Amino acid sequence: MEMIHIIFLIFLGGAVLTYFAGKVSKVLQDIFFLLSVLVPAYLFFANVGIGKEVTLTLGGIPLVWGVNHFSWLFSLIVLGLGSMAAIYAIGYMKGKERKGYFYFNFILSIMAMMGILLSLDLVSFFIFWEIMTWSSYLMTVYNGHETQRIGIKYFVFSAIGAYAMLMAIVIVHHVAGSFMIGSMINFYPNMSLSLQIWIPILFLMAFGVKAALMPLHVWAPDAYSNSPMAYTSVFSGALSKMGIYGMVIVLVTMINQIPQGFWFREVIAWLGGITAVLGTLWAIKQDDAKKLLAYSSVAQLGYIIVGIAIGTELGMLAGLFLAVMHALFKGTLFMVTGAVEKQTGTTNFTEVTGLIRKMPWTFFAALFSIIALAGIPPLGGFVGKWMLYEALITSNHYLLVIVIFFSSTAAFLYCYKFLFGFFLGQEEKEWAHVKEAPVVMLVPMIIMSVLMFVLGTFPGLILKPINSGLVDLGYIDTFKHLWNTSIIFNAWGDHVVLQPILYYIIAIFVFFALFLTWKGHKTTRYVTTKDISSSGEVPAEDENLTFSVGFMQPFLRAVAPAMRRQIDKYYTGIADGLESLFEFMRRIYTGNGQTYAVYVIVFVVVVLLFKSVLF
Amino acid sequence: MDILGAVVTFLVAFVVGMTYGGLSRKITARVQNRKGPPWYQNFIDAFKLGFKKSAIHHGVMHHLGGAFLMVSSVMTLMIVPVLSHNNWFPNLNFQGDLIFLLYIMTFGPLGMALGAGQTGNPNSAIGVTRGLSQMVGFEIPWVLALVALMIQYHTTSITGLMAAQAHSGTWLMFSSPFAFIAAVMAMLGMFRYSPFDIVGAPTELASGPVSENGGKYLFVMMSSGSVFTFAKLTLYVDLFMGGADNLLILLVKTFALYLIPMLYGMTTPRYRTEQAVRWFWGWPSFFGLLAILQAVIF
Amino acid sequence: MNDKNSQKIVDIIQNWARKHSIWVLAYGTGCGAIEIPPTMTSRYDAERLGVRGAATPRQADVLLITGYLTVKTMKRVIRVYEQMQDPKYVIGFGSCTINGGMYYDSYNTIKVLDKYLPVDVYINGCMPRPEAVLSGFAQLQKRIAEGRANGAQQYKDNLEWYRANQKKIIPNWIMPDYNW
Repeated sequence: MEMIHIIFLIFLGGAVLTYFAGKVSKVLQDIFFLLSVLVPAYLFFANVGIGKEVTLTLGGIPLVWGVNHFSWLFSLIVLGLGSMAAIYAIGYMKGKERKGYFYFNFILSIMAMMGILLSLDLVSFFIFWEIMTWSSYLMTVYNGHETQRIGIKYFVFSAIGAYAMLMAIVIVHHVAGSFMIGSMINFYPNMSLSLQIWIPILFLMAFGVKAALMPLHVWAPDAYSNSPMAYTSVFSGALSKMGIYGMVIVLVTMINQIPQGFWFREVIAWLGGITAVLGTLWAIKQDDAKKLLAYSSVAQLGYIIVGIAIGTELGMLAGLFLAVMHALFKGTLFMVTGAVEKQTGTTNFTEVTGLIRKMPWTFFAALFSIIALAGIPPLGGFVGKWMLYEALITSNHYLLVIVIFFSSTAAFLYCYKFLFGFFLGQEEKEWAHVKEAPVVMLVPMIIMSVLMFVLGTFPGLILKPINSGLVDLGYIDTFKHLWNTSIIFNAWGDHVVLQPILYYIIAIFVFFALFLTWKGHKTTRYVTTKDISSSGEVPAEDENLTFSVGFMQPFLRAVAPAMRRQIDKYYTGIADGLESLFEFMRRIYTGNGQTYAVYVIVFVVVVLLFKSVLF
Repeated sequence: MDILGAVVTFLVAFVVGMTYGGLSRKITARVQNRKGPPWYQNFIDAFKLGFKKSAIHHGVMHHLGGAFLMVSSVMTLMIVPVLSHNNWFPNLNFQGDLIFLLYIMTFGPLGMALGAGQTGNPNSAIGVTRGLSQMVGFEIPWVLALVALMIQYHTTSITGLMAAQAHSGTWLMFSSPFAFIAAVMAMLGMFRYSPFDIVGAPTELASGPVSENGGKYLFVMMSSGSVFTFAKLTLYVDLFMGGADNLLILLVKTFALYLIPMLYGMTTPRYRTEQAVRWFWGWPSFFGLLAILQAVIF
Repeated sequence: MNDKNSQKIVDIIQNWARKHSIWVLAYGTGCGAIEIPPTMTSRYDAERLGVRGAATPRQADVLLITGYLTVKTMKRVIRVYEQMQDPKYVIGFGSCTINGGMYYDSYNTIKVLDKYLPVDVYINGCMPRPEAVLSGFAQLQKRIAEGRANGAQQYKDNLEWYRANQKKIIPNWIMPDYNW
């Protein structure tokens, strides 16, 4: 009974126990939930060594599990974010119903993600992939409304991807003789050309759905906004990274071995770029914070896909570093939205506003996450973006640089919209009662914000596991060549030293903050947001001066031509077309006995007439 | 990391930036056939604002917004090499990087926007949205020009580009003309002179994001604007006009460059925001694409 | 002794800066405002003296009460005056602010501005020509340099008296009751 077996057992048993503990007592349920997530995380990091393999035979097929450096990196994301989200979920789910349902699916998702990362053979990969899909599907229908449109759409897309993957797995087994991922990679150069092209495409369909690559992203905005926020941080932070994990394996180990691989990577890089731009534009349009963050996730995943599709070492480093940062800041942002939702009951910008003085710690976490998202130094997002741009320029992807830069600059717009919509602006009387979120929800947010800050100055802390992972995949070691603990390089020898930048920024910031606030502290008093220079009028208490409807209208008017078509409409069009085709074919069953008699006679006549051709 | 040198650089930038502002007012006045304020008028304005006393404040974020703005301007100044081959103005000890510069330049307006947001004035919020939209507009030709330069000379650092100019003997203005044209057109948007001054228009929007800023906040804003002006002009001189060996040549070159948005602004009316954004994606981006083509082919 | 001298030097510098940079709130309260554009533009250039327009009260130094002041405008003017930052000045522009001028027997205008807002300089005329306006600004500059333009302090010290006068004529007083 190896450690990995124990970990899976704890997950599975914990899930079931937590579900049933809810019937006994709520506190017991919370405790079991935390233990089922935190204990395996601790056991994994403390005891599981890299390189060991563990086997479990199931019906004659050996399921092989083990860790290599690359999956260890991703398990950092999954278990780290999962633990933070679990602590957060305790506070978020307080007072909500069907907690057992939530906890069960949460634990199963984490277990499935760990299973995917630990699988060394394709059958267990597929099993865990399916468990991940249906546990997250159950979460998207947690609220119970619009299950048809949102949940079924997500499930159909995931299922199409998963069955494409199943087809690829079966073909691989038929051709290579084994289910192990290693043997598939080794056998890949020997396959026929059509197989060499089709197998990655089938795999990429599955991974592309999870990583929200255009045009397979249409499930993402609705699914992310409909799940409970404590789960969406894991959903968008860790689950989408499973798609990235699979993509890296396919792109690096398999496609790199054939000469057509270059075209593959170009197409995927451009799809990533278009995802980034269109995701950003649609995010600017949204009025609901959940939808805005969902579209933003799609856009950020576009950056990551561009980074890993380019293929150079710097590109891979950039993509994976951005993946880690995205898990951090998107997880925090969804937690912030959940905190606001819990305290005020709504996440619509046109309804709630002006919460900065009532929820200061939440604002602090949101501010740090937004600064990291926008890629501004000294927080971590800048390091990832810098490496991405350098990778794009040094590998001659000039137009992609412009596309990514456009998306990154336009991201400032929805970043500001998020912060302004919730926290700044007018303070309205109906939200005067709002209090700060409970401590158990604040602590994970603050921890992740501090982590973003640390990673901005010492990116080497994360670049080291990323580097070992890449070495495992066959890249050269980039330590001291492309990065050091606090310095990042590019392939032409330019470098950025991050520590002095941080000290300068802090010094300047503190100096001017003091200059502005020093003498004024005792002699000035705070005025409410109604005391503004409004042409001499005194706004009444209940007068609405909030600006939130049509917030970025000038920009949206300028980019209106690019947003005219929605990919969702195409899918709905196809679905409607299929439905009318099926409607038409349904008419074969008329329910009339005479028609069925005609069918039989026609069939016999046709067989007799064409007997020589058929037999 | 010479602290004294950094402070000296900051003071020089402050003085030069304010002087340019005052000179701009003087030249505008002369173009309009009147005498105009003295060239040191901006200093007097700044001192007066610094001596104002306020009885109220609008909250923590309002104070921090000004601090963010100064961080952005001063860091931009620290990255740009002010004088080449000279130890008088040392800056941060790494090869000034263009991508870092691009991002730190956007930190300021974002911080200012956050500060303006806390006051609750809807005019500030509208001004901020217009400002951010315009920023997306002019960043496209600016980035196109920079990427073209980076490709052509295989370096992403400012000192690398300056070395390329010193090595080849010709200014980048002449060897990458399309990049220069695109960058100058983008510069029109950065300085927020007419026709792109809808962001802080006093009569249109009650001066937009700064409508609640008076006294010390406005002083910080003005100084940040001056420092930023100087840093941007020096950046352009370093990138396109071969840098400068001593302060006098730097002043001459930057002032020559500063005349372009100033004089163009005196004679044009204002664009609406979406007109401005679409204009930036029109001819300037076209020149930027030409620049990239030229960099790839030659 | 040292303290008083250094205080004097600081005052001199402050007053010099304030005198040469006067920002006028862009608020035309009455018909006298028609003389402001000629003063500010090319022919009678007021920017030579450092005078320029400011968009909001938070950025302005000087409130120009241009001409007659109706009771309705009075309420807004008081609010605007209180939103300006110290040090601030009020210039009474035209005869109506001195003694009611042309509307001396109107039911709707105020007759003596000094009872409601502390005025630093009066410019008489109906309306004063731009040369008179410029001479009024020069007079304000002289007062600032001498240190006598402290209308803001006067307002703070005698707040109750001013308030009593204001409340006497403004029927629907909905302004916030705050002190400094």
